[in-house]
Amino acid sequence: MKETYQELMRKKKRFIIVAIIFAFLFYFMLPISLSLFPEKMNQTSFIPGVSWAWVYAFLQFIMIWLLGFIYHQKSKKLDEVIEQMIQEE
Amino acid sequence: MNLTYFLFFICIVICTLIITYWAAMRSVTTNIYYTAAGSLTGFQNGMAIAGDFISAASFLGIVGTIALSGYDGFLYSIGFLVSYLVVLFLVAEPVHRLGKYSLGDVICSRFPGNTMRLIMAIGAFSISIFYMIPQLVASGFLLRLLLDIDYSISVFVIGSLMTIYVMFGGMIATSWVQIVKTIVLMSGTFLLSLIVLSNYNWNVAAIVTDVKENSPLGEYFFHAGHLFESPLELLSLQLALVLGTAGLPHILIRLFTVKNTFEVRRSLLSATWIIGIFYVMTLILGLGTIAFIGYETLISADPTGNLAAPLLARAVGGDFLLAFISAVAFTTIVAVVAGLVISATTAFSYDIYHHMIKRGKSTEREQLLAARWTALVVGILSTIFALRLETMNVTFLVSMTFIVAASSIFPILVLTIYWKRFNRLGVISGMLSGLFASMLLLLIGPHIMHPEGLIQREAIISLYNPGIIAIPIGFIGAVLGTLLSRRQSASEISYEDFYKQAQTGVQSRSDAS
Repeated sequence: MKETYQELMRKKKRFIIVAIIFAFLFYFMLPISLSLFPEKMNQTSFIPGVSWAWVYAFLQFIMIWLLGFIYHQKSKKLDEVIEQMIQEE
Repeated sequence: MNLTYFLFFICIVICTLIITYWAAMRSVTTNIYYTAAGSLTGFQNGMAIAGDFISAASFLGIVGTIALSGYDGFLYSIGFLVSYLVVLFLVAEPVHRLGKYSLGDVICSRFPGNTMRLIMAIGAFSISIFYMIPQLVASGFLLRLLLDIDYSISVFVIGSLMTIYVMFGGMIATSWVQIVKTIVLMSGTFLLSLIVLSNYNWNVAAIVTDVKENSPLGEYFFHAGHLFESPLELLSLQLALVLGTAGLPHILIRLFTVKNTFEVRRSLLSATWIIGIFYVMTLILGLGTIAFIGYETLISADPTGNLAAPLLARAVGGDFLLAFISAVAFTTIVAVVAGLVISATTAFSYDIYHHMIKRGKSTEREQLLAARWTALVVGILSTIFALRLETMNVTFLVSMTFIVAASSIFPILVLTIYWKRFNRLGVISGMLSGLFASMLLLLIGPHIMHPEGLIQREAIISLYNPGIIAIPIGFIGAVLGTLLSRRQSASEISYEDFYKQAQTGVQSRSDAS
C-alpha cells in the first residue's frame, strides 16, 4: 500500500506544480497581452461583437473552475489511500 | 430614514441577533468558540468564505468601477478569483491539517516555541485590524450616503453589532451571519440583474448599445486600459491580489471550521463558484447602471461611483428595491467586519494569552472568558479608531492589506510547508522584512507622499500598489534569514515527519510519543 501512497503523492505534487504554473501563465498573460497588443485584444473575436479581451477574461473563469474541479477529483483518490493507510497503522 | 428602510434594517439586525443568541447557547468550549468544532459542511463554509471575502467595497465598488471604467473594472475582480486557486493548491489542506485554531499553530507544528507563535500572532492581528478599520470607515460613509444617517452613528452601530456577534456567538455566529449575508447578497444581485435584463427584453446587445451611447468612453468602454495607466501598476496590483488571499488570516482560519480535507476543498470550490457568479452579476449591474441612469447622474451622486448599485436599484425597482439593496450592503459590511474581529481575537486570546502568557495552562473557562474580553476590546478599539479617522481617506488600506498579507504571511506559510531547509530565523526575517517593506513602500509611495498628501513632496516610489517590490522582499528576507543562520539542530521536528503530517494528517510515531 505504501508504494501507492508515495506514487499518488508524487502525482499530486506534479499536478500541483504544473497546474499552478499554468494558472499563473494563463492569468498573467491577460494583463500582459492587454498592455502589449492592445489593438489585437480589442479586435472582434470569433463571437460577433465580443472582443478577444472579453473572451480571454471569461476563459479565466472557466480555467479556475476547471482546475479546481480536476484537483478535487484527483485528491479524492489520495484521500482514500491515506484513509486506508491510517487504518492499517 | 423612511419606514421601509427602517423595517429592512431592523429585520436584519433582529435576525442576526437571534443567530448570535442561538450560537451563544452553543459556544461552551474553546473548540466551538474558535472553530464551530469543525461542524460546518463544505458548502456552508464556502458560503461563509464568500461572505467573509466579498466586502462592501467589492459589492458597491466593483459595480461602480465597471460602470465608470468598463473592462478594467471587470479585470480587477478576476484577480480576486484566481487567488483561490493559490489557496486551494498550496496552503488549504496543509493549514487545515496542521492548525487547530490559528495560523500560529501551523507554524508551531514545525517550529514549536513562543517566538514563532508571537510572530504569527502579530502578523495575523495587524492584518486583521488594518483591514477592519477601512471597512468600518467605508461603512460609515456608505450608510451616510444611502440612508442619511450620521457618520458616527453608523460606525457605532456596525461596530457594536460586530462586537456582539463575536463576543457572544464566536465562530458559529460569525459563520452563520456570513452565510446569511451570502444568501441575501446573491439573491439581491441576482434579482437586480434579472430586472435589468428583463427591462431590455433579455437582449444583451441592446444594453451594449445603450452603454456605448451613455458612457463618455463611448465605443471604448469595452476596451481595456482606462483604469490603469502603467502596465507595471496593473501587474503589481494583480500580483498582490492573486497571492494576497493565501495570506489573509480571516480567510485561512475558516478552513478550521470543517471536519476534513474533502470538505476543505469543497469549501474553496463552492467559494470560487459563488464569488465567480457574483462577479459576473456585478458586470451586468455595472453595464445596467450606465445604460439606465447614465454617466452624469452617477458621477453627480458620488464621484467614486460607489452608489452605482443603489441608484440602479432605485431606477428599476423604486424605493422598495433601493431599501432592499441598502440592507444587502449593510449585511455585507457587518459580515466582513465580524470575520475580522474573530480573526484578531483568535490571534490575541489563543496565541498570545493562552499559549504565551498562561503557557498553555489556562482552563477552558478562562480561555473563553479571555476570548470574549478580547473580542470586546478589539471591537471597541477599532470602532474608536474608525470614528477618529473620518476625515482621512483610508480606502487604500484595503488593497494595502493584500500586499501586506502576500509579502509577510504568505511567504512564511509556503516556505514552512514546502522548503526543507527553512528555519526559525527565516520565519522571523521573512515576516519582518515583508511587514516593514510594505509599510515603508506605502509611506514613500504616492498614497502618503504627495504634494497635497500627508507628507508634502513628490513620491519616491511612484507605484500606488507596491506589491511587485514588497512580495519579493518578503520571500528574499525569509530565504536570506534561513541561509545566513546555522542549520537546524537535531532536536527539531524532522521535515519528513512534518511534511507527512501536512499532507496526510498522520503524526509519525516518533513525535507522537
